[in-house]
Amino acid sequence: MTQLTSHLKLLEAESIHIFREAAAQFRAPVLLYSIGKDSTVLLHLARKAFWPAKPPFPLLHVDTTWKFRDMIAFRDKTVRELGLDLIVHTNHDGLARNINPFDHPPSVYTDVMKTSALKQALDAGGFDAAFGGARRDEEASRAKERVFSFRAPGHRWEPRRQRPEMWQLLNGRLGKGETVRVFPLSNWTEGDVWRYIALEKLDVVPLYFAAERPVVTRNGQMLVVDDERMRLEPGETAVMRKVRFRTLGCWPLTAAVESDADDLDAIVEETLAAKMSERAGRLIDHDQDGAMEMKKREGYF
Amino acid sequence: MNLAALQEDVSVETATLPRREKGALVRLLTCGSVDDGKSTLIGRLLWDAAGVTDDQRAAITLASHNREVNGEKIDFSLLLDGLQAEREQGITIDIAWRYFETPDRRFIIIDSPGHEQYTRNMATGASHADIAILLVDARHGAKRQTRRHAAICDLVGIKKVVLAINKMDAVDWSEARYREIEADFRAMAGSFNFAQVVTIPVAALTGDNVVHRSTAMSWYAGPTLLDYLEAVDPETEIVDGPFRMPVQLVLRASGDFRGYAGTVTSGRISVGERIVDARSGLGATLRRIVTMDGDRSSAAKGDAVTLVLDTDLDISRGAVLSEVPRRPTNADVIEARLVWLSETPFDPEAGYLLRTATDLTPVTSMSVSALVDFETLASQPAHACNVNDIADCRILLGRAAAIDLFRDLPLTGNFVLVSAIDGATVAGGVITWAQAGAPQVGDNVLVLNRALLASGVCADLGDSPADLAEFNRRAQEVAILLRSVGVPVLIEI
Repeated sequence: MTQLTSHLKLLEAESIHIFREAAAQFRAPVLLYSIGKDSTVLLHLARKAFWPAKPPFPLLHVDTTWKFRDMIAFRDKTVRELGLDLIVHTNHDGLARNINPFDHPPSVYTDVMKTSALKQALDAGGFDAAFGGARRDEEASRAKERVFSFRAPGHRWEPRRQRPEMWQLLNGRLGKGETVRVFPLSNWTEGDVWRYIALEKLDVVPLYFAAERPVVTRNGQMLVVDDERMRLEPGETAVMRKVRFRTLGCWPLTAAVESDADDLDAIVEETLAAKMSERAGRLIDHDQDGAMEMKKREGYF
Repeated sequence: MNLAALQEDVSVETATLPRREKGALVRLLTCGSVDDGKSTLIGRLLWDAAGVTDDQRAAITLASHNREVNGEKIDFSLLLDGLQAEREQGITIDIAWRYFETPDRRFIIIDSPGHEQYTRNMATGASHADIAILLVDARHGAKRQTRRHAAICDLVGIKKVVLAINKMDAVDWSEARYREIEADFRAMAGSFNFAQVVTIPVAALTGDNVVHRSTAMSWYAGPTLLDYLEAVDPETEIVDGPFRMPVQLVLRASGDFRGYAGTVTSGRISVGERIVDARSGLGATLRRIVTMDGDRSSAAKGDAVTLVLDTDLDISRGAVLSEVPRRPTNADVIEARLVWLSETPFDPEAGYLLRTATDLTPVTSMSVSALVDFETLASQPAHACNVNDIADCRILLGRAAAIDLFRDLPLTGNFVLVSAIDGATVAGGVITWAQAGAPQVGDNVLVLNRALLASGVCADLGDSPADLAEFNRRAQEVAILLRSVGVPVLIEI
């Protein structure tokens, strides 16, 4: 179906190696499961790494309460079918203060409902390592990150003080107060993720496939109305259009793309031919210059 | 067809070749001194070879406004320098990873910083590369930092080097200048173990000989950089190496399942063959090779698998499973060449741990015998070692570890040195010599102490740093000679 599949075997083996190194070296790891395509691949690789045993760590989902309904349904089905432990955490303080993506700028909303929530959950669970599905091809500051990404006390990323990381040797020995984010998909690209999903016949959230959905176009970005909390500006109406998502997050902050790709082969083809980068549809990344690096310094994935 | 099925097909088609399709994935490093144009070269390569999306092009074009460099409108380095501090200062601080593919190949590009201060980041990048592109500025030729980077590439095991002689536009596209730098570099490369050195004259800013052939240098008939990268064979290792699999963890599951999980780092193994644990010397027969895609009959270098043996060897993480005939050394004394990465200098009194494949072993004592001089590339006797130095050293381990020599089996012959205090990675190195049976004090062992040496073999030496280093070197040499004839020796100076 698609060219270039033999390198996926190498990437898969590298990811399994990383999972096993982290599981062997850290006391209490957790897998950040955000339901999207990268998390799907991440979870699949975790199962492969420890097979026939189950992954020796729980999953953690930071629920902002603004995820697409299809995502939550997919999450619950996956966890049930695979018999995994899932921790769901919401920042209830943020919820009580009604921090939401309509009334607050993306930077504030993300900080409270995602970054702070994540830190609360990691601290509460006493986790010293968290697996994430971040890839270096996603964004310029992520392109700079190690596989074992050390965080100073308070989960701060200090990009100027990253540890050397040589060959296949992953040094997980922690200093006082340090924790680690582990990125098994570091060397995967968006194209690799889709080709792997197609080859391994993995289930993904239906929102990735093109379908007629109610769309509101705002500032040139297409938002899909997922529930009654949508606030229409004067003159706006939802119009049915055939769209899909390249990346999934909170629905008011994640833009769809027009597409006819309604099966995996078509998605792979569309991804490899894409002229725009994947996170162009992530509204929170464009709020400020260097937005991702700032969020990462504060503890975001 | 899933990935496992696909893999079976591949191995059938290429039964006589390494079982992986050759060159599907090429890991590429750019290095060289500061301001020689590394990020610009890679930015240009991505820009011209279509590794850049439209929104990134728009953002770079916008950000390049008011940053005109040498009359060019686009600052290609912005594609790589992703940290705010890098953009503000116009320098590269940490390595950047970029990815692109051509119809036949997937490339991982590792762009490394040129500043001496960030050598530890360059060493990190180099250790992941199959091929290095070493840049020099055609106006200046190789600098001290160029030689340091070449030495680090050599140390971490890179066998193929492209010398990209950049900024040819600034020397009027002069063939004579190109030949001069090429000759200098070839003379210098003789100090290293590179298997292949290719030189290409380029101008990263204008793109000459990066992706598009230069019209200004008709005297150059060789490949463009991209031509070379698409054709080069990244595989340099021996195909027929002895089987090794460092154990990462022991997996237990229902039904008494007990398997050793790890990645095969060398050779291959089939069900029914004998396996030995190098540390304990215990042997067993391989009963199953387990993966989630089903059991396999054999596994080879690069495969992440779980091995089930016919008897319980009582081994754990850190063990290296090996074939019986060619085993690792169960060593507790090693010699190594390392690059010191920590701002804190080497301290013989500090506590260190040696992290090899999956093992972590306490270091009993460690001494430095020589440093590489980056002017001459020769080794000079020394006993101290600071950040960014390349040093030869001897390490005594608190217990034996399964060790190979790096030149034979890189993945069981490399290590990082870890601070026992804060866990930091302070050095990365390669094992050049390993031996079992470091003597313990109290055994029937010859102690080479200071007084003994000063009264004879070192009687001509004084207290200057150079003399102290020479004292240490002679002590090590005497110990090597004695050990080679079977005399257990301990150095206490």
